[in-house]
Amino acid sequence: MPATIYRHSILVLLLVMLTALSAPAQQADAENCNLCHSLAMMGIATPSEGLRSFEVTANAYSHSTHRNVICRDCHTDINVFPHPVEVAKVECSKACHITKPFALTGYSHTEQTDAHAISAHGFNSEYSVEKNQAKPDCKYCHSNTFRNVVNDEALQENSQHCVRCHEGEGLAGVILHVSSHSGHRTAEASINVVELCSSCHADQGHMKQFDVNLTQVGGYERHFHGKALKRGLNEVANCMDCHRNHLNLSAEDPNSSIHPNNIQQTCSANSYCHSGVSSTFAASAIHSEPTTQNNPILFYVEWGFIILTAATMALLFAHIFLDFGRWVGDIWMRRKEK
Amino acid sequence: MSQDYTRFTLSQRLQHIFMFVPFIILVLTGFPIKFPESEFWSVVMSAAGGIEKARIIHRFAAAVMILDFGFHILYLGYNLIKKRPSLAEMHLLPTGRDGKNIIENMKYFLFLSDERPKFHRFSYIEKFDYWAVFWGMFIMAGSGIVLWFPVLFSKYLPGIVIQIAYIAHSDEAMLALLAIIIWHFYNVHFNPRIWPANKVWYKGTLSEEEMEHEHPLELEEIKAREEASK
Repeated sequence: MPATIYRHSILVLLLVMLTALSAPAQQADAENCNLCHSLAMMGIATPSEGLRSFEVTANAYSHSTHRNVICRDCHTDINVFPHPVEVAKVECSKACHITKPFALTGYSHTEQTDAHAISAHGFNSEYSVEKNQAKPDCKYCHSNTFRNVVNDEALQENSQHCVRCHEGEGLAGVILHVSSHSGHRTAEASINVVELCSSCHADQGHMKQFDVNLTQVGGYERHFHGKALKRGLNEVANCMDCHRNHLNLSAEDPNSSIHPNNIQQTCSANSYCHSGVSSTFAASAIHSEPTTQNNPILFYVEWGFIILTAATMALLFAHIFLDFGRWVGDIWMRRKEK
Repeated sequence: MSQDYTRFTLSQRLQHIFMFVPFIILVLTGFPIKFPESEFWSVVMSAAGGIEKARIIHRFAAAVMILDFGFHILYLGYNLIKKRPSLAEMHLLPTGRDGKNIIENMKYFLFLSDERPKFHRFSYIEKFDYWAVFWGMFIMAGSGIVLWFPVLFSKYLPGIVIQIAYIAHSDEAMLALLAIIIWHFYNVHFNPRIWPANKVWYKGTLSEEEMEHEHPLELEEIKAREEASK
């Protein structure tokens, strides 16, 4: 009963969120870091980086996903007051002092960072430093903003995508995922997922440095999924539905959700999407733009229709034009005779 | 004394209506998806009640259109077997006279001749419109049904058929729409000799004057038959 689980999870989620909203968010600053960091002019200027602000807008932080996580849970290398200007970069894989809902274990993002590390977006030792930096890290996609689930229709519609992969994890699992995703940039709406991925994958200049097919976003937008999503049909697949959220792997990797051995399972998406799909349907490359090399049949069908339409319309237009010309000519000649 | 001549029976006029009403609905609910960023089609999409309702309306209209076409095939078959011996006698098939008429019409259009070609019951323009519907129905209904049940069809057909159906449905829709609003509308509405509209699609009859102008050979044949039966 996935639909019932979904509905129940939303109800319970609302209660959880309402409780969270009413709880004081000041706990996060129990160590009073905002004594200094609330100052608007707090920052440094360096010749290389220019101005860097260290201001933490209290209101923004207290409404973010991490509002209950104290600063030093993530900035673990700060042990003295005042602390040095240069501090280590935050690693999202660090365990923090909050517990998972309905569980006694400490919470961390290692599951996600481990998947990201081995994905196409992870660190590649064969790449240069610049090339590795051009890949999205955690913060590129997750901006730690807070979204009000109670009033967010787009998010609620998007929640139906979650259960496609996380079915069978039980009510607690669904709540965990919906509540954790609710604070992420990627949780806004399906169309935002496509926009987020497109911010790099549709950028020719950016993708040039990687050996990645540049027609993917264009191909998605030409395809029914892309077009219907733009028209507000939220049930269609967005990028993450087929390519996963953190374990984005090349189609050649046997663990990839889009590897020929797994694609059938991916399209079926726990029976939420194309249940019972054949392997040939699943294997048809839906996003590449057809060329004479990768898909000659489709390429010629497409051009066949373009030529047929152009030729037919040219003939019909010529007929109309000549017919109308004769009518105008007749009037003109009758006038001349008078 | 001038009299009216029956051109289309009530059944034929209804078949035309059950073809073009779904056609309009299919265009209004389909093109917003073909052009997802167009402002104009956005207005149409909202009027149709959003994409989720539009998809249902599209399939309902498609079913009506396919049933209407199916009815026409049965109707044609019935007439061939029971009433008349051949398509040629119904003047539906392209003949040598159509080729001759095209050349005569071109000469007339280019002021090389002052005489319009004499048409029989159906001119080459009308025959083209009639058979174009067969081509259009074959492509649109065929691809549309495949896209309606992609998983089912993928079990029996190679995956590329689904992709071909997607392109065919989208591109043939454009050709059909252009042919209707430019070619068909010119010939039955916007042609200055016809303007504002040829009323035969609901009246079903042509006056003697219209017959003399548009279908003189048919009129001659009818008159000869009337003479003979006197």
